[in-house]
Amino acid sequence: MADQDLSLRVLNLGTIPYAEAFDLQKKLVEDVACGVSANTLLVCQHPAVITYGRRRGRAHILVSEEEIIRRGVELYQTDRGGDVTYHGPGQAVFYPIFDLKKLGQDLHHYMRMLEEAIVTPLREHFGLNAYRREGLTGVWVGPYKVGFIGIAVKKWVAYHGMSLNVGVDPASFSLIRPCGLDVKVASINDFFSDEVRLETICDMIVEQMAHVFQLEATGGSRQW
Amino acid sequence: MVKVYLPELGEGIAKATISYWYVEEGATVTEGSELVEISTDKATFNVPAPCSGSVRQIAAHEGDVVEIGSVLAVIEEDTVAEPGEEEAEGA
Repeated sequence: MADQDLSLRVLNLGTIPYAEAFDLQKKLVEDVACGVSANTLLVCQHPAVITYGRRRGRAHILVSEEEIIRRGVELYQTDRGGDVTYHGPGQAVFYPIFDLKKLGQDLHHYMRMLEEAIVTPLREHFGLNAYRREGLTGVWVGPYKVGFIGIAVKKWVAYHGMSLNVGVDPASFSLIRPCGLDVKVASINDFFSDEVRLETICDMIVEQMAHVFQLEATGGSRQW
Repeated sequence: MVKVYLPELGEGIAKATISYWYVEEGATVTEGSELVEISTDKATFNVPAPCSGSVRQIAAHEGDVVEIGSVLAVIEEDTVAEPGEEEAEGA
């Protein structure tokens, strides 16, 4: 029991449709809530999709649904917090299915820890001026937002999570007003002349997640 | 009657917004089922039904900002007595 409390199961899902990852999260929430499964971190990419929450709806989607479909982008209403966002190729997505009863039971503190898991590798390994901004959840490099956070909690088990733009087509974010804010969005590769591999960043963030939450990562198969 | 309160969500979180009711007044709920989704910053939090019964009152509506500890709903608990029980719990 004690070992399971401290372990972090990492599952690399490769590229997976948003709906499939969402279904898997909902199943894992039940498993983690009843103690059948250890804290689990899903790592993946999604084919292009715009997601939005219940509360703020589609207000910050800037083009018609027809135009979105024409561009081959999916549209999906979900149950996470936050406003509209975009996922797509070149973006690393992390879904921690964590039992918050054992991690402080504090929603805002949990999100600060998620930010920390992105900020630290970007600063220490890549020398980027990555930081978080008071009152504006997410991760920033200079004036640009690169990391996005939106979570949901059921039975005190967290799901949804965070995404980091590594090499995303900048035009993708022009379809929306990300997070309902007038922000400039960038990718990590915009700051370097040589491409940074998405897998490299993912490995660093997984390692940092284990460190921040004081969990011991146990590997899953990699399917990049 | 069982009151449903907005629970503590963490240090410094004094209020949250009602984002979605899964049920309407008069609906029957079972213990642990999804009752209401609330949100704070970039997080949503599901408040489950604390007991089985029928929703007598919804005290805060979608879009309302409510303080931690506020009453969100009132549920009239099922009072089906088990055979041999003198009286049902609750009320």
